[in-house]
Amino acid sequence: MALIPVSIITGFLGSGKTTLLARLMRDPAMGRTAVIINEFGEIALDHDLIETSEESFVQLSNGCLCCNVRSDLTLTLSDLAARRAQGTIPPFERVVIETSGLADPAPILHALMTDRDLNGVYALDGVITTVDALLGITTLDHHEESRRQAAVADRIVITKTDADGANADAVRQRLAQLNPGAAVTDAGTTITPSLLFGHGWYEAGGKHPDVGAWLAHDAAAHAHHAHTDDIASFSIVRDAPLHAVTLALLLSALAENHGADLLRMKGIVNVHEDPQRPAVIHGVQHVYHAPVWLPRWPSDDRRTRMVFIGRNLREAWVRELIELLDAEVAAESSRVPAA
Amino acid sequence: MSAAGGDRLRAFLAESLALWQVGGKVLAGVAPVLIEIRADDGARVWIERAGDDTPFKWFVRWRRAGDAPGGVRELRPRACGSLVGMLAAAREGLGVERGSAVRVVAALE
Repeated sequence: MALIPVSIITGFLGSGKTTLLARLMRDPAMGRTAVIINEFGEIALDHDLIETSEESFVQLSNGCLCCNVRSDLTLTLSDLAARRAQGTIPPFERVVIETSGLADPAPILHALMTDRDLNGVYALDGVITTVDALLGITTLDHHEESRRQAAVADRIVITKTDADGANADAVRQRLAQLNPGAAVTDAGTTITPSLLFGHGWYEAGGKHPDVGAWLAHDAAAHAHHAHTDDIASFSIVRDAPLHAVTLALLLSALAENHGADLLRMKGIVNVHEDPQRPAVIHGVQHVYHAPVWLPRWPSDDRRTRMVFIGRNLREAWVRELIELLDAEVAAESSRVPAA
Repeated sequence: MSAAGGDRLRAFLAESLALWQVGGKVLAGVAPVLIEIRADDGARVWIERAGDDTPFKWFVRWRRAGDAPGGVRELRPRACGSLVGMLAAAREGLGVERGSAVRVVAALE
């Protein structure tokens, strides 16, 4: 059965999430979309299939209980899938979740990646974050929730660009530092479902993720180290292939040493044992998808490229970790006698 | 491991202390100890390179802050198969609680 793509629309209080969603709803392409909203706002949404959720995730400062606790959101998604299978609701082909304004999207991503009931039914398509051009800078300055929402976004929509006092350029500049890999769209332009949805890890048509778009971070990161107070992003580009074991050890080391501080990590890896097929990796905090092996490289650039976004990350430590791990694995490989 | 390799590993462990927000020093050890970590709170970690005749890469011993010398972990090293295990042992010795075990979920192919 084809997995149902799930998109998350998040953004701080008053940043225009519901306005964006209401606007999208008017597009006929949204006809087979189920919408889950965390709280009813002042803007009425006219749609056949709207569910609510309380988002009752629990997270500990050390470790991640959300991997074990079934939340109201996962129950809502399970229930929707069951009713879809029974034919008691329309056969929706996409789910859009609008989070509350203070939500941390990471637990929602975890649930989609790890919940056993959801895992074979739904797949994460992407995170869309709204940031308003009027108060966006102040909000990003003062609210960690807002920074985290922007940091994990695949696409950011800048709203209220035509309001008096709006400064879209300043917001855009700030977002480029916070999350250079995210595509940024001005809400004043034409926004269609196809612009925001269908660019993720899994597509029913077998399309692979737009690795090039994610790794647009490269150019910016080479120009300057993108650092915004406690949340920073950086990319690592490596010419030589990595051993497969190095990759596994790297993910373990990142999870164990950075933990919840690593908000998101994406990359395309040239694996020593299979250099013709790049491995695409994607993680949220300590949870990773198993690598997806692309049938071929998306361009002539066959370097390993990884993007890290998180809080209190130490770029030098990650760079040296990769080199030391690969040297250790290479030494071990040369020690093992050929069969 | 060469002297240059030892220096590189010491620099990496110094960076690790900063990441873990542990105050202390990373010093060259007295053979067979390759590296000694002295935390400001009194914890000590000793790291040795395992011989090629063992399936391990590192041996790590430690004395946690407040422990008397000669405890079990100071006398009986933890054998580690990789740098990742060595870092985990060092964190334990230093009393650092950090992060979670990695969790890998099914691929979406």
